[in-house]
Amino acid sequence: MLRQVKPRNARSKRALDKKAPKPTENPKTTLFLRFTTCSQILQDALTDLHQLRIPLAKKFSKKNAVHPFEDATSLEFFSEKNDASILLFGSSSKKRPHSITMTRTFGYKVLDMLELSLEPEGFRRLAQFKNKKCAVGLKPMLLFSGTPFESPVPNEYTMAKSMFTDFFKGEPADKVDVEGLQYIVSFSAAEESGSDAKPTIHLRVYLIRTKRSGQKLPRVEVEEMGPRMDFRVGRMKEAEESMMKEALRKSRTSTERPKKNISTDVVGDKMGRIHLGKQDLKELQTRKMKGLKRSRDVVDSEEENDMEDVVSEEEPAKKTKKA
Amino acid sequence: MDSSAETKKPLPITVHKPTAYNFDLGLLLASDPNPLVLTCRENLEDDLAATARDGAQALLNQLLSTCPIASTPNGVLLSLPAIETPLPREKPLPPPKAQTTWERFAAKKGIKPKTAEERKKLVYDEATGEWVPKWGYKGKNKEGEGDWIVEVDEKKERERKEGTEQRGDARRERKEKIKRNERMQRANERKGRKNGQR
Repeated sequence: MLRQVKPRNARSKRALDKKAPKPTENPKTTLFLRFTTCSQILQDALTDLHQLRIPLAKKFSKKNAVHPFEDATSLEFFSEKNDASILLFGSSSKKRPHSITMTRTFGYKVLDMLELSLEPEGFRRLAQFKNKKCAVGLKPMLLFSGTPFESPVPNEYTMAKSMFTDFFKGEPADKVDVEGLQYIVSFSAAEESGSDAKPTIHLRVYLIRTKRSGQKLPRVEVEEMGPRMDFRVGRMKEAEESMMKEALRKSRTSTERPKKNISTDVVGDKMGRIHLGKQDLKELQTRKMKGLKRSRDVVDSEEENDMEDVVSEEEPAKKTKKA
Repeated sequence: MDSSAETKKPLPITVHKPTAYNFDLGLLLASDPNPLVLTCRENLEDDLAATARDGAQALLNQLLSTCPIASTPNGVLLSLPAIETPLPREKPLPPPKAQTTWERFAAKKGIKPKTAEERKKLVYDEATGEWVPKWGYKGKNKEGEGDWIVEVDEKKERERKEGTEQRGDARRERKEKIKRNERMQRANERKGRKNGQR
């Protein structure tokens, strides 16, 4: 835990306000880190992933002796210090070669972790594909294909889907330029076979080429842009239920609750339903005249009975108004 | 892939799958719940590309057909719907703002902000059928002050102090109310100063 700083000037106050929790959050920043040993292949892979996320990513090149699944306090420190909530940690050892640990944090505490090990044979770098790359900082389209991602019980694949969605989500946008839909990141996993080996996740990035189809919508063709990575899933640490519940909470202001008894019909007219009490014509106010005023000392019994009736009728009417 | 179709024939733009795609257009995300079709190991890249092409086509079709499109000087813009996939936040929700002194006081006393109706200066006088001001010249609060004939309550008249009379009672009462309000206001200000809130 870093010490709590009290801002001493306007600049540091602005910086702290930027980091503070907000109802609608800043886009998540990704931090790339490495272990003391990290193979060249893995370093290239991390560089390429960094390249894809560039305005919302930071990459550190110093070595860190951290074992995320044993003790993640260092990662939490990095997360807080850099205000990054997704961490990619590359490590390569004899037992677990070329492994990337994806960590998500919530409030600078580890939420969940997933270990993916890169298959070195299938790996191709971004630069190995000789074509024009898409512009920096564009929002990618995402595609998850294959049955493992749709599993009803949470497993490595659903977690990978959630994490990669978070990783590629970027800046929240309610409007996108059609010209900006330039590339698609495709994740695919084959069906789980009978043998124990879990299916690999294939990460492919394709540029989108549109052709005139003669119809209103264009015909889409794809061209591989790189990088090309195949992952096998390794260890995972699922999120604590209470923490996940807290993390999935939505701010109340973000959704407008519908007003009761007001609706719009097909034509677009606003319709309202009003509850009225029973109308009592005896109480109707007519033109006031001094001569018609009832004098106080003369109380005839008939009128008193009438008054009682009025009171008993009014009570249920008031109830319906409140309901 | 059937990209080598003749240019004269219209290229197919529809994608047929046994199970339909699920879309989350706010994230530009499509998920294909069908099992991955892989023919053999050498053909892996082509198969993956074909799957990605179908997915991209389906996603673009969905985007261009369901989202409202607006062309602006900045380009052709697609309005995306809200994100449906639940994704965790990075920081907890900020705690609700603390109540101000006034808000606490108002809640304790049950003071509600004035409605639009209450803020208006004119009220409808049902007896005359006219709109009259609530206060001021010919105000509603002066009603009955200028009456040339007034009903007298005998009991009150008996308790009346020496040297006062019924005439002008309503006006005196109103003026007294104003004085009382000003007194209370001054007392509140004094109290506020003493508590160091000002």
